[in-house]
Amino acid sequence: MSEPKRDWQKDLKVFRERMGGLSEEKKAWAREQRDTLKAIRQALAGGPATIPQIAERTGMPGKKVLWHVMAMKRYGKVAECGQAGDYYLYELKEGGS
Amino acid sequence: MTKIKPFYDGLVLGGGIAGMQAALDLAGQGFEVLLVEKEPTIGGVMVGLNKVFPTLDCSSCICTPRMAEVAHHDRISVLCYTDLVRARRRNAGFEVILRKKPRYVVEEDCIGCSLCELACPYFAPHEFDQGLGARAAIYIPHGNAIPQVPVLDPDYCMLDGNCARACPKNCIDFAQQAEELSVGVGSIIVATGLRLTPMGAKKQYGGDRHANVMNPLAMERVQSSNGPYGHILRPSDGKIPRSVAYVQCAGSRDQSIGVPYCSRVCCMYALKQAIMIRHQRHDTQVTIYHMDIRAFGKGYEQFYRRAQSEGVRVVKAKVARITEVENGDLSLRVELIDEGGRVADIRHDLVVLSQGTIPGWRPEGALPLEVDDDGFFAIPDIAARPANSTAEGIFVAGVATGPKDIPDSIVEAGAAAMEAAMYLDRVRESAGEMA
Repeated sequence: MSEPKRDWQKDLKVFRERMGGLSEEKKAWAREQRDTLKAIRQALAGGPATIPQIAERTGMPGKKVLWHVMAMKRYGKVAECGQAGDYYLYELKEGGS
Repeated sequence: MTKIKPFYDGLVLGGGIAGMQAALDLAGQGFEVLLVEKEPTIGGVMVGLNKVFPTLDCSSCICTPRMAEVAHHDRISVLCYTDLVRARRRNAGFEVILRKKPRYVVEEDCIGCSLCELACPYFAPHEFDQGLGARAAIYIPHGNAIPQVPVLDPDYCMLDGNCARACPKNCIDFAQQAEELSVGVGSIIVATGLRLTPMGAKKQYGGDRHANVMNPLAMERVQSSNGPYGHILRPSDGKIPRSVAYVQCAGSRDQSIGVPYCSRVCCMYALKQAIMIRHQRHDTQVTIYHMDIRAFGKGYEQFYRRAQSEGVRVVKAKVARITEVENGDLSLRVELIDEGGRVADIRHDLVVLSQGTIPGWRPEGALPLEVDDDGFFAIPDIAARPANSTAEGIFVAGVATGPKDIPDSIVEAGAAAMEAAMYLDRVRESAGEMA
């Protein structure tokens, strides 16, 4: 006899309750990440840029920009496309946004 | 998923190189082995390293075949993402309680397609890349992970169900909970490995404050072709570093942070990483500031000379402090021993702290074992039985007994497996005599 089909939507509701729902802190973190990624996409909309250039355009620290650009690169949303001095250039990938 | 039996001849704690080798060597002698690993994959520290010294062989190329051998061995069962709760002596062996943490993914059903990971829109610091890279809230630990099954991280999960919606096998299981398991074992081999001293341990080095002061495991990942950046870059702004410094004994041989011993591997991994930087970036200067270079193993002295001939600067000096200056560059106040103790401020754009090696796990009552003052497992007869712990039937291998390199860890794992096999045979013989 096969097991009953897993109802993930029902399980997710229970899981959500067990986790105590989404905290305000977590919602703020997610919002901030979405805004950061949006700002990076906008900074790259005009063409390839280095991390310091993206940092300057977005007003965000270089460390934060690098971390998010590398995350986008890992998941295929950004690609490396050359070098300018001691820095690599990054561009948005088609359909990657 | 591995079907867990009620009894095993040997329990191996830790799925790093020492634990895997001990499991293979014990199973190779005909014994049934259960390997327990706290992380979601076996492989330990070694699978995250770029190269090994002194051969400069690819570390994961040596480690992953062994991971596969362990996972497919007829006499080895593997439990990942599982902690030891306690082991208590029972009859001639031990009763072991384990706690399997929830992955929120049904291992038996998962095909490792990564569609859940690709559907998750959130990024969290990737442990495998020492936080320098990112991963989704549900993720396969890395490309060589065994098993190739994702784990959901509730700390970063936004509970949106995107992963479950994308899963073609309906194997995301939000109802999963931690599970307690009880097994009987005849003997135990402890191979719980290492951690590094905290980055902030030496306040004057600012390892926890300066973006471009890096830990050596992070540098391993940065140098790896499957690392967070794909190139050697510095974390503050993605710049190709042109001047890299290694600060030796940055967490060892230092009573002030409670690590008076030598961590043994730092000189060699610093030389190895320095060579790899020179190979990847011929015009990048690399300087190793050290108290003395300890190149003790087979072929190590030659490796030290090779590093120098490849342009690595090895400077006898004590680094007093590291200060962040403009653009994230770092100024090192250095006492140059070979120049009569002259003090100089030298600028670099990336610094690696060769941190100390400390025990990966402390038993704290979970095992009836004694540890030394330094936290490593005590070995009562180090000269004659180096794999025997303070308790009968429990053996120890790898860095769990003290800092050591990969070859020594493998040798010790073999010794621990042999001691366990002899112990199991003795127990069987005496049971036979009594019957």
